[in-house]
Amino acid sequence: MDTFLAALFSGTSRGAIYALVALGLVIVWRGAGIVNFAQMGQAMFSTYIASTLINNGNSYWVGFFVALFAGAAMGAFLDIAVMRPLSNKKKSELLSSDSMRAAVPVIASLGILGVLQALAGIIWAAEERGFPAPAAQEGFTIAGNVAPFTSFDLFVISIVLFTLLATTLFFTKTGMGLAMRATALNQEVAKLSGIRTNHTRTLSWAISGAASSLAGLLITPTSNLSPNTLDLVLIVGFTAAVVGGLDSPAGAVIGGFIIGLVISFITFYSSPEDVFIAILVVLLLVLIIKPRGIFAGKDARRV
Amino acid sequence: MLKVENLVTKFGSVIALDGISLAAAESKITTVIGANGAGKSTLLRTISGLERASSGSITWQGESILEMRPEEIVRRGIAHVPEGHSVISELTVEENIEMGSLFRRRKFKSDVAAAMDEAYQLFPRLHERRSQLAGTLSGGERQMLAISRALVSRPKLLLLDEPSLGLAPLVVEQIIDSVNQLCRSTGLTVLLVEQNANTALGVADHGILLALGKVVADRPAAELKADASLRAAYLGY
Repeated sequence: MDTFLAALFSGTSRGAIYALVALGLVIVWRGAGIVNFAQMGQAMFSTYIASTLINNGNSYWVGFFVALFAGAAMGAFLDIAVMRPLSNKKKSELLSSDSMRAAVPVIASLGILGVLQALAGIIWAAEERGFPAPAAQEGFTIAGNVAPFTSFDLFVISIVLFTLLATTLFFTKTGMGLAMRATALNQEVAKLSGIRTNHTRTLSWAISGAASSLAGLLITPTSNLSPNTLDLVLIVGFTAAVVGGLDSPAGAVIGGFIIGLVISFITFYSSPEDVFIAILVVLLLVLIIKPRGIFAGKDARRV
Repeated sequence: MLKVENLVTKFGSVIALDGISLAAAESKITTVIGANGAGKSTLLRTISGLERASSGSITWQGESILEMRPEEIVRRGIAHVPEGHSVISELTVEENIEMGSLFRRRKFKSDVAAAMDEAYQLFPRLHERRSQLAGTLSGGERQMLAISRALVSRPKLLLLDEPSLGLAPLVVEQIIDSVNQLCRSTGLTVLLVEQNANTALGVADHGILLALGKVVADRPAAELKADASLRAAYLGY
């Protein structure tokens, strides 16, 4: 029973972080039609910025908020400096097929990942360092027993739920949110409605950048920080997004929790070495049974 | 006033518009008719910025809009309702309409609400269905929705592409009547593209006949309607 509860709690806390990563991927996928493989590279970079600030005597929260801001700024910068010129119609006409044109930004994102990791290695040296947590990482003590649930877990879950709620409200209740949804669903109609789709696309990169930086800040206290630590997190988050449906923000979040729980139960009941295989099995099963993801919306009706 | 001169638009090596010149007079309905593939839709798509012209000029209220993006052209008062009931199925009816007024929401806050009310008055069925997803609407209702989305941007020029496509005659009549009424009561300028020449010429002030990307006739609508030989040669009835 104790093992079960421990697996459940740790899975929920991990799942919350994967949900954030998946949400970041889905926002850029819907807003710009790109799977951004550089996402966790950006997160790694902004977590290093936070780490440097904290090591130089600033409070955790200064590092925390500067990292979120840096993540958003980096996302916006990458869109404006790299992705926007690449999607320039005149230049991309040199490529013969649509699929090649679609591949260019994805390959560019892999390039950005490489550059960010190399830069981080040069600036901060490529060795692991710890990253602090803002709350205790020892389990709560209830009636003399140590529960398998820490204040940091509680912090992670509540901040992620708050973020999810805030993004949902932003997308459904504000004019800018409506403009972003319209751009994601149908660029031509959005443009004809006077929506500056370049701006909404940059904004989706910024939101995604902030969300993944938050994921980086929340996951490094339990895994240490190095230029490559977050690579696996991206793979897990990507799996979560595919499981939930790349088109569906809500699906991505639920996919994140599902994957988090799967990983945690495998770790507790089998062994950590089996985790990677289990993720691949889940991914394959979803791709075979529901290739568009469990929660993907129906195809838009075409008349 | 909208003025198009020697406009050429190409898709690869295919010339869709081959040196078109025309004008849309203020507060009038000008209709562009012609067979399938004559370049009618391409003409509207080039005016609204969705396609890039290779040469020629498009002047709107004394300003060249040839190189502008669609979203900037809308902001200058040209609203385009493309072919095929272009609404976003996954958004509600109200969201689809609201979308057209987003760029005005800060500067003209109170007028945005008024514009939406007017759209609902023009098409009361949309008001009944305002919280439904647009994907659940009938073809006619989607066309009404697409027009409403364009109208809440408070355009001075409305580009309408084949509003009758795939709709029952009664619905077509209702939609064309609404547009006609709007033009006469508010002074809206309309450029109406239609394959259904009879309906279009019946309501328009001026008619332009396109064939293979060229203007073959440019006359008052009534005159064009009466010319049996032109009709037989280019429209086939």
